[in-house]
Amino acid sequence: MELFTPELGLVFWMFVFFAILFFILAKFAWPYIIKSLEERGDMIDKGVLYAKNAKEQLDNAKVEAQKYVAEAQKQQADILRDAAKMKSQIIEEAKTAAQEEAKKVMDAAKLAIEQARKESELQFRNEVSSFALSIAEKMIKKNMEGDKAQAELVNKLLNEVENKN
Amino acid sequence: MKKVLTILSLVMLFFAASAPIAAAQEAEEGGASAINPKEIIFEHLGDGYGWEVPFSHSHRIPLPVIVRDYEGGWHLFSSSRLMHGGEYEGFKIAEGGDYNGKVVGERPDGNGGMVQYRPLDLSITKNVAALIISALVVALMAFWLVGWYKRNGMKAPRKGLGAFEVTVAYIYDGVIKPTLGAKAKKFAPYLLTVFFFILTMNLLGLIVIFPGGANLTGNLAVTLVLSIFTFLLTNLFGTKHYWKDIFWPDVPWWLKVPVPMMPVIELFGIFTKPAALTVRLFANMMGGHMIVIVLTLLIFIFTAIGGLAIGGVTTVVSMLFSVFMLLIDTLVSFIQAYVFTMLSTLFISLAQAGGEHEEAVTEAK
Repeated sequence: MELFTPELGLVFWMFVFFAILFFILAKFAWPYIIKSLEERGDMIDKGVLYAKNAKEQLDNAKVEAQKYVAEAQKQQADILRDAAKMKSQIIEEAKTAAQEEAKKVMDAAKLAIEQARKESELQFRNEVSSFALSIAEKMIKKNMEGDKAQAELVNKLLNEVENKN
Repeated sequence: MKKVLTILSLVMLFFAASAPIAAAQEAEEGGASAINPKEIIFEHLGDGYGWEVPFSHSHRIPLPVIVRDYEGGWHLFSSSRLMHGGEYEGFKIAEGGDYNGKVVGERPDGNGGMVQYRPLDLSITKNVAALIISALVVALMAFWLVGWYKRNGMKAPRKGLGAFEVTVAYIYDGVIKPTLGAKAKKFAPYLLTVFFFILTMNLLGLIVIFPGGANLTGNLAVTLVLSIFTFLLTNLFGTKHYWKDIFWPDVPWWLKVPVPMMPVIELFGIFTKPAALTVRLFANMMGGHMIVIVLTLLIFIFTAIGGLAIGGVTTVVSMLFSVFMLLIDTLVSFIQAYVFTMLSTLFISLAQAGGEHEEAVTEAK
């Protein structure tokens, strides 16, 4: 039975070719293939981990962003409220300031008017008194000449005063 | 693609239908004795000096014959010179006798007569040629993948090369690494070579025409050499602990002192393991080939017995069974390669395991 008695030639060649194939592949192929497979496996693992972290960070970032937005909105509202408050305050202040100023100006005007009035009164009085004095003086001078003459003088003086005014 | 398949099936069917006719013709020519199933089966399962081509009994692809005669001289010539009973440089292919189908020479027997003898035969027979083709295919696949990595870096290969890579990963991560652990890298090259070599030989054996068709893994010589390699690797790299377990196992002393029963059993076990490997692969693959051949031969046998009509029916039935068996054999091809690799891994790891344990103990101290 040929099948059950190994042929020497085939055993020999099998040994030779298997040994050659084994040495070539063991030296140049399998270690390289295994190394590449493992490297790729590691890289994929790392990639998955990285993606997971990135997603986590992204989720966190979203939450944080929302927090920031909320904070910003609050600040904005605060600022707006402050601004409104400040606006009304400024207007109020301006109003009061204007009123005060107006009052001051009016007071000053009143004072000036009063002063002017007093001055004019004084001047008037002085003039009147000087007129009176001069009239009196002339009357006294005329009195010496006659009544008619005195009356004419008075009329004349009075006319003078009238004309002067 | 579908059209091509349809045409191919029709052509196949035509040839299948012509089989009983050919059988009937043969039966007419030589009578019922024209078919000798045993001879045909063993011719197909066995080795040959030429490689059969389809549709021809007389033509074979010639292969080199390398023989060393009894005087020590080497002869190298084409096997086509020995076909059809040819004789060349004193050598011919024996018909019948102890050396049936092998190259034989004649030498003087010392009494003046001549006697047939078997020279040292290192011919590149059909099986050896198939062996070379298988080795080339495996090397090509491996270096193709290496080339891919060198060209494309971390990119994963697709399609055929991707399938090859997946298989490498399947064997390495699924069998070698879990069993051998830290020693995986040391033995992986051998185990991967064994797996892909066996797988390629198995699958090539299922293809009936030229690059395939050799019943390689169904040949005891091939499986024997493979398990010798496993045997050598197991025992040459075996740890102290492994050898201690063989010659001084942890069993009650009376099992090993006056009569070394356990050591003998253990020692016996060293050799039964590779023997089991040898026979398992051999028997499985040979069985698969044999069933397909027998199913095909049934057509001829039934035609010889019952004529064309019965032969025609048998053709359809046995073709269906043959296709089914070939599909099973494809599965078996993978399973047997896997089993051989897995058991080799297991045997090697058994010879390694104790050492790790001892190392761990010394480290702990």
